[in-house]
Amino acid sequence: MAVTQYIHPLDKHLRLERIPTLYCPGCGLGIGLASMLRALDSRIKEGSIDPDKVFWVGGIGCSARMVFYVNYDSAHVIHGRAIPFAIGAVLANPELKAIVVGGDGDIAGIGGNHLLHAARRNVDLIVVMFTNFVYAMTGGQVAPTTPRGVKTTTTPRGNPEYPMNAVKLVTSLNANYVARASITTPHYIEQYFYKALGKKGFRFIEVVSACPEVYGRHIGLRNPVEMYNELKKRVKHKPKASIEEAEIDWDKGIVTGEFVDRDNPSYIEILRGEQSEI
Amino acid sequence: MHYPESTQLNLLRRTSSKFTVTVIVDRCKECGICIAVCPTKVLSISNMINKHGYRPPEPLNIDKCIGCKLCEYNCPDFAIFVEKVEQP
Repeated sequence: MAVTQYIHPLDKHLRLERIPTLYCPGCGLGIGLASMLRALDSRIKEGSIDPDKVFWVGGIGCSARMVFYVNYDSAHVIHGRAIPFAIGAVLANPELKAIVVGGDGDIAGIGGNHLLHAARRNVDLIVVMFTNFVYAMTGGQVAPTTPRGVKTTTTPRGNPEYPMNAVKLVTSLNANYVARASITTPHYIEQYFYKALGKKGFRFIEVVSACPEVYGRHIGLRNPVEMYNELKKRVKHKPKASIEEAEIDWDKGIVTGEFVDRDNPSYIEILRGEQSEI
Repeated sequence: MHYPESTQLNLLRRTSSKFTVTVIVDRCKECGICIAVCPTKVLSISNMINKHGYRPPEPLNIDKCIGCKLCEYNCPDFAIFVEKVEQP
């Protein structure tokens, strides 16, 4: 095989035969993926992570398609079941660094129950949830995180439901690290993901993303730059935010920051402790 | 397709005394985010059309580049990057 030619600094982490991605022009997911790869790259350069032990899992959706483009071991599983698959892999081989990526529909909607119980058990996983407020791949249907009053394909008169705040939900359980970042501030995604890679237990990062095609156009934003600027206006970064402030609302603003950082014993540590006692 | 060593990738590259900005032409999807986020307006849309039918940005005012890498961080398609020129 011919020698692969790397041009972009992140090319060695990508499967170049699958680039360009299938994402629409201006999609925020690529920004999130690049930031995550930068954090992983610096961890690998430090020597604290072995690239052969990194394992990506994705369910169904645009965000979960990310596992197709990374040059690591990856699995593409059924809708919403990325977290159980990753738990199985981690329990079989606790040395794995499992990274679960998925959208809000995949992780909070279809797989919501799995998210609850993985966070309750504090399993050694990193879950990165990309919130773009709709089910984007299937055409922009209403999702559990869609803000109230927003017009989508299935709610043409405005969404009547109250949205779900996944950060508050996971914080109420036993997760070790909970943060929220936005694709308009990619440095924070990199910083939080870098920090999450060095911790144990259940780590949850919500990345607020922009979907210019099926979310932005339906609310009257005509191009990706408008969508990006509109999201940038609504994001408020609070470095030391408390969990009560973790609002995610299209009108009142989206608060980003680190909300939980604690060192509870992880599931695998508890299992090993019990086994040694027996 | 893997890029073999011999193939010439379509690149738009401009160099100032301090920084080099490179655009990988065939990866660009013309979303315009790099042009919008650049604080010193280095980039502008070019006249060339890539193999997918999009017009990539061109670093015309490269002398104004301050090396903040906002275009590189905000590009969703891994199509643009900034390098520091090694000073002798």
